[in-house]
Amino acid sequence: MKMYPAKNENGNVLICVLGVILVLSIIGATVLRNSTTRLNVSSKQVRAWKEALSAAEAGGDMAFAELRKQFSTDSSVRASQWSGWTKSGTTYVSPESTFGSSNLKSRTVVEICYFDVSGNFHLGANPDPNANSWYRVRSRGVSTLLGLKRTGMDDALMNEGRTHFAAFGSTAMKDITARGNGDSLLRKVDFKYDHFVATYGGSWDDPLTTRNDPVALGAPQISRRIEQVITPLTPFFDAAIKTAGIFYGLGSAAQIDSYDSRQGPYAFVANSPSDPRYINSRHGNVEIGSSTATVKGMIYGDVATNGGTIVNSSQITGTVDNNVPFTLNDYKMPDVTSWQYEPPPASGNGLAYQLASSFSGNKSLTPRYAGTANAPVYYLVSSFSGALNIHPTAAATDTYMAIHVTGDISGNSTGITVNPYVHVKIYFDRDINVKSNNLINQNPTVTNPMAANLQFYGISPPRDANGNLTWTQTINLNSATPSTLAMTFYAPSADISLNGNPDFIGTMVCKSFYANGNVSWHYDRALNSEGQLLDVRIASYVEDTR
Amino acid sequence: MSRPGLRQVESGFTLAELLIAIAIGLSVLAVTFTSAVALQKSFSAVDNYFGAHMQQIRIVDYLARDVRRGLSVTSSTDKQTVTVKIPKYIIQAGDSDATVSNIGTPRSPSLAIASGDYNINYGTATSTVTTVVYSVNGSSILRTEDGELTTIASSTDILLPETLDIELANTEYTTTAITFQPISVADRSGTVVYSTAYLRNRRRSF
Repeated sequence: MKMYPAKNENGNVLICVLGVILVLSIIGATVLRNSTTRLNVSSKQVRAWKEALSAAEAGGDMAFAELRKQFSTDSSVRASQWSGWTKSGTTYVSPESTFGSSNLKSRTVVEICYFDVSGNFHLGANPDPNANSWYRVRSRGVSTLLGLKRTGMDDALMNEGRTHFAAFGSTAMKDITARGNGDSLLRKVDFKYDHFVATYGGSWDDPLTTRNDPVALGAPQISRRIEQVITPLTPFFDAAIKTAGIFYGLGSAAQIDSYDSRQGPYAFVANSPSDPRYINSRHGNVEIGSSTATVKGMIYGDVATNGGTIVNSSQITGTVDNNVPFTLNDYKMPDVTSWQYEPPPASGNGLAYQLASSFSGNKSLTPRYAGTANAPVYYLVSSFSGALNIHPTAAATDTYMAIHVTGDISGNSTGITVNPYVHVKIYFDRDINVKSNNLINQNPTVTNPMAANLQFYGISPPRDANGNLTWTQTINLNSATPSTLAMTFYAPSADISLNGNPDFIGTMVCKSFYANGNVSWHYDRALNSEGQLLDVRIASYVEDTR
Repeated sequence: MSRPGLRQVESGFTLAELLIAIAIGLSVLAVTFTSAVALQKSFSAVDNYFGAHMQQIRIVDYLARDVRRGLSVTSSTDKQTVTVKIPKYIIQAGDSDATVSNIGTPRSPSLAIASGDYNINYGTATSTVTTVVYSVNGSSILRTEDGELTTIASSTDILLPETLDIELANTEYTTTAITFQPISVADRSGTVVYSTAYLRNRRRSF
C-alpha cells in the first residue's frame, strides 16, 4: 500500500521559515544600511574632509617653495622658479597636482600684491621700486569620495531662515541657508558640481581661467580652500636700531622717533596726536639681543632686550620687554649673475661710467645703464678711498647701481654722494671708517632724502672651525660738521660706532652698537618693506568656509 | 468505492502531537521574537553610540577648523565654553561695508604693525574679527558666530566637551576631550575623543 503525505500541511513550516528569514533579513538590511551610512560619514567623508585641507595646504606649501627658490644657492633651482606654472602679469597659477594614495588634488594661485602707506591692499607690483613684494596665495584642495552618493545621517535640509552669512532670501549663498545643522553644514560634499565654483564662479580658484568650471564631477568630492598672505622678510623691519650684542647710546639729549617718507619730509609730530602723521611717529624702536644695554635719550618707540634690566620710564613712550631673544644670521653676498656688471678701466679712473678697481681721488660717475632694482649696474672694487659722486644715467631716469667693495672703505675725504634718481647699494667685506658728513644722500631731494636710496650691507666674515668670525668687522662714522644723514646699514657681523650729533634718517642693524652723541634719529617706516629681501614667511592664514 | 489506504493518509495528528507541535512552534516564534527584539535593541544601542560618536567628531572638526584659522582662543574655567577670534574674512549681511552685491564675498586684507610684527587684518575699520563661541546648553552643543546660533550637536547621551587652551610664545593650541554617556552603559569611560589644534596665525591678544 502506498501512502502519500498531505502536501497542504508542509506549507505552514515553509511560511514560518520564510517569515523568520524575512524578519532577520529586515533587521540585517537595516543594520547594513545604517552601518554603510555611518561608514560613509565616519570613514569616507570625515577622512576626505581632512584630506582636502591637507591638499590645500600642500598647494600652499608648493607655492611657498616656489617663492623661496629665489634664495637658493643653486642657480638651477633659481632658474626653475615658476616652471610649469601659468603666468599672466603678476599672477601665477599652478598646474593641478595629484598626489597621495587617495589621489588628492591641489591648485594654487599666487598673486603679487602690496600694501600702501595706509595699509590698504592692492594687487600688482609695488610702485615703490625699492620695496619688496607681498604675495597672496590661494589654494584649493580636493579629495574624491568614491562609492555611492550618500549624505550623512544628520543632514535634514532646513529652511528656517537662519542667516549664516546672508539674509534669508538673499541670492547669495543659497547653499548655506539650505543646509541643515548636520554634517553637510560643516563638510560640504559636492555630488554633481563643485558648489563653490557653481555659486561664486571660478575666479577664486583660477583668476586666469585656465579651466572650464563648473564642470560635472565624475565622482563626489569635498573641496577646501585656504588663503595665505606671505610677507617679505626685510632687513630694516620696524627698528631704528637693532643689535644682536652690546648696546650703548645715544647721548642723554638724543632722541629716536619715526616717520613715513611716503607722507612727506620728516617733521617732529610724536607729541601731536591730532597730526595725521602721528600714527607713524612712535616707531623708533630699539631691539637689543643681549642683556648688556645702556639706553639713553628720549625714545618714541619700544625697547626690547634679551635679559636686560631696562625699566619703563617717561623716556620711553612704548613698551619695554626684557625677554626678547633673537639672533642675526650671517649676511652673504647676493647672487650677482643677473646684474649688469661694469668692468673697471684698464688704468686710471677711466670713462664716466667706469670705476677703478682700486678707487681713490674724486670721481663723477654716470652709469651707462639704468639697471633695475633687481638687476642693478654692478661694480666690483678692491678698495674705496675716494669721493664718488653718482649721477643718473640720464636726466630724471631712475638708476640702480651696486658696488661690491672687497676691501676697506676709509679715508678722510672718502665719501659717496647720491644724486636724485640714483639708488645705490654698497656691499663691503671689510671695514668702513669715514666722516659721516661725506655720506650724502640727495634722492629724491636734499630736504627729504630717503634712506632706502643709500644702503650699506656688511658681508659677514667667514667663520673658522669653531664657528668664530675670522676677523672683526667695524663701521666707524666719525664726527664731522653736523649734517643730515640718510642711509641704512645692515651689517649683522659688524661693530658700529657713531660719533657726533648728526640728524640721522634710517636704520642700523649690527652686532654691537655704540653712539655717545646727541643724535636726532628718525626711523623711516617706508623701510619696513625695503632693502635686500632676506626671506619670506606666512603672515596670515584663513580658510574660506563658504 | 473507497480505497482502504486513503483513510490512513487523511488521518490527522493526535492531540499530543498537535500540542507538541504548537509548543515547538511557539517556542521557535518566541525565540525569534526575542532575538529580533534583542537584535533591535542591540542595533539601536550601537547605532546610538555611533551617532553620538559622529557628533563627537563633528564638534571636534568644527572646533579644529575655527582654531586653525583663529587669532586667539580662550576657554572658560569649567572648560565648557570656548571663545575663538577668527579673521572676518567674509562680508556678512549687516556689516558696515556690506552692499547688495558683496555680501558673501571675501574681503581684501589690510596691514597694520603691532607689537613688532605685521598684522594682516580682514574686516572693517571698527571690527576685524568674528567671535565664535562654543557652549553647552542642556543636551546640545552650540556654536554662535557673531550672534548667529547653530546647534552643531544634540544628543540624549549628554555630550560633554572639555577644552583647554595653552598659550605659547607666539602661538596657542587647544586640547579637547569629548565624552558621552551611552544609553546602554551608564559610564562615560571609553567614549572619549581627543583632539589638538594649533593656531596657524600668530597669536594675538584681544
